[in-house]
Amino acid sequence: MLTMQPSVTIGSYTWAQDRLPYDEFSLRLDALHAAMDRNNWPAVLVYGDVREHAALAYLSNFIPRVRWGMALLPRNGDARLLCAMSTRDLPAMRTLTWIADVRSGMGPEWDKAFDPWFERFAGADAQRLGTLGFDIMAPALHDAVRRSLGARFVLHRADDVAAVPPQHKRPRELTMMRASCKLVETAAKAFVDSWRNSGAPETAALDAERVARSLAAQDVRTLISFDGGRTLAPYQGRFEKKAGPLVGYLAVKLMGYWADLFVTVDERRTPALDRTERALDALIAAVRPGARTADVYAKAMQALAPSPLHPALGGSVGHGIGLSLNEGPALRAVGNADLVEDGVYTLHAGIADAASGNAIVSAIVRNTANGADVLARFPPVIPA
Amino acid sequence: MTNRNGRLGAAAKYVAGHSLDGLIAASNGLNNFLESNAVYVLSGVRPIGESAVVLDRDGHSILILAPSWDGERAAALSATDETIATDDLAAALAVAVKKHRLNVERTISVGLSLLGQGLVDRIAAALGGLPKAENELARDLARVRTPEELQTAEQAAWIAERGYERLLEFARPGLREYELAAELYCFTKKLGAEDNFLLMSASQHNLAVRAAGERILDVGDIILSEITPCYRGQFAQICRTTVIGEPLPVVREKYAILQEAMGAGLKAGRAGSTVADVTRAINGVIAKAGYGQYCRPPYMRVRGHGLGITSDRPGDVVDTNERVLESGMVFVMHPNQYIPESGYLMCGEPVVVTDQGCRALTRRPAELDVIRV
Repeated sequence: MLTMQPSVTIGSYTWAQDRLPYDEFSLRLDALHAAMDRNNWPAVLVYGDVREHAALAYLSNFIPRVRWGMALLPRNGDARLLCAMSTRDLPAMRTLTWIADVRSGMGPEWDKAFDPWFERFAGADAQRLGTLGFDIMAPALHDAVRRSLGARFVLHRADDVAAVPPQHKRPRELTMMRASCKLVETAAKAFVDSWRNSGAPETAALDAERVARSLAAQDVRTLISFDGGRTLAPYQGRFEKKAGPLVGYLAVKLMGYWADLFVTVDERRTPALDRTERALDALIAAVRPGARTADVYAKAMQALAPSPLHPALGGSVGHGIGLSLNEGPALRAVGNADLVEDGVYTLHAGIADAASGNAIVSAIVRNTANGADVLARFPPVIPA
Repeated sequence: MTNRNGRLGAAAKYVAGHSLDGLIAASNGLNNFLESNAVYVLSGVRPIGESAVVLDRDGHSILILAPSWDGERAAALSATDETIATDDLAAALAVAVKKHRLNVERTISVGLSLLGQGLVDRIAAALGGLPKAENELARDLARVRTPEELQTAEQAAWIAERGYERLLEFARPGLREYELAAELYCFTKKLGAEDNFLLMSASQHNLAVRAAGERILDVGDIILSEITPCYRGQFAQICRTTVIGEPLPVVREKYAILQEAMGAGLKAGRAGSTVADVTRAINGVIAKAGYGQYCRPPYMRVRGHGLGITSDRPGDVVDTNERVLESGMVFVMHPNQYIPESGYLMCGEPVVVTDQGCRALTRRPAELDVIRV
């Protein structure tokens, strides 16, 4: 889900060397090195910003809190990380990554930090460099990169070739994702408990956020329905009581990894609740290695029929989740990607129509050889 | 033309006055509190995703925003005549440009340079080129806060001060930095803040303020906080220094330098003076105290800055900024400084420019506060 981006992320992002020691990054880099060898890239430039930084975080552990960061990763030799922070902020930035050489890429620092690093690769012919994440880079920075590299280097888009991060999660990543899934379930419970006490959707969302942040969530996103589940909206600071049903969305990030859940609380069992639950069961049953995204989507839509998919889901019944809240592949009517073993997916089912009612339910699953392993699920709550 | 937002009217006048076909103002949805958000300035909507306002020569305005499911909220808030929700900004822009017969060569843009290169390429392909960039327009149009915006900024400052009071109540030895930051963040949200650029960290000797980490607060720690709630589109920032336990005399002595520098900056910030004048007034006090060679990064960053998302004018408070201050401009003034004997200390207020100097929007000026243990 797309949510309102805060101006800064406030949780602790210090590199947890016990959970993610350097050898983990070394193993991750092996796959990138293989791609570099195949494509004759002596270095890869990995860009991420405050909103989308999965590749940068996967390879460097660095997550920009504001603006952007860029890792310069050579096939051989020492890496460098540039961040859009003042030189005053560099000591703090160095605690966020295994890369020892962290420089400011702001203003006049750019020429000092970026250009000289490439001198080691200069040769008679133009060298090829791989790029990851450059599609989201602002044009001004893109131009600065090109100006600095001049005719000495040719940039090659590496996003599709290198597939960073890969769809399947590594063992340590699965451990992180289990922890974030546990946290989102705890926060979702706080959401429901608060709603029962206050009857105010935003109070419930804020109470859930407070619980998640106090348990070390690095980021929390919420969406709330003010109209009984027909539409979703970001925080508005109204804290008004609203009649149910309560439909909300909650996403938490822990140790770099996202988990999300939709929460529905209704006073009565409605056709929307019955069918969304059945659709979620169908989605979970359809997840297996090799399953096609369009086929999984079709299974969910059969269970939701005759209702269309809830508009807030944007035509998708789920997608990958991990270092990005919105990883691929999306489970849509079109598209034929395969779900892979040890991929982690967030699955969504929702209905909003006058006849059936409004509900959205969800689960997070790990794809195993034996089918879906449910890591988080929040069933609709019907008070006794 | 609907004109719930005077800035939209001013932009329409600009388009007409320059014989242009129209204007395309874009936002990347990232809410950088140091940047003007052109879509917010013109529409009054803080977008979730990438978005644009299209304004034609007749003053007709359209907000186009992603994601598609956010249309109802945006339409209810937007000052524009129309609101279109989409998951394909480039395609929707192309339709609007065609419908309103905008010749790209006679159209200007604001903020396209903030979008990702991939999206900009798709927009260029959809429009058959890119409009000429006039990226200063939105921040110039909004450089002086309206009376309503000033009132809202004062409410944001009120929230910031209440947030700091909560810090004084809640901080104690044994608490982790991120737990304190979480409490502060949620507390200001409960008071109505939709966002908060919150930096808060502690050390026995700080090099700078940073975002909260895992550190456990201890007696003798100096807590630095930069509390910046955003209330209805207006950010207000306060910078505070707090000691757990009785501070060393040297810390009190050095903190007084920052307070004096703040006073000098407030006095210098009269309408008609320049940002550089304010900077020199602040740096002068710090240099006089013997720390002139520390008036540069990494010992400080800037002496203040404008506050997005409305307008980041008057820009960074640095001695090379010759922008003239105008009555009604709002920015944060902060003579935050690393001093070798005390470490980094923070002192700052959101201020509004008046003919007599800058007026703080806060009620209680920054003091060196103490948490008794």
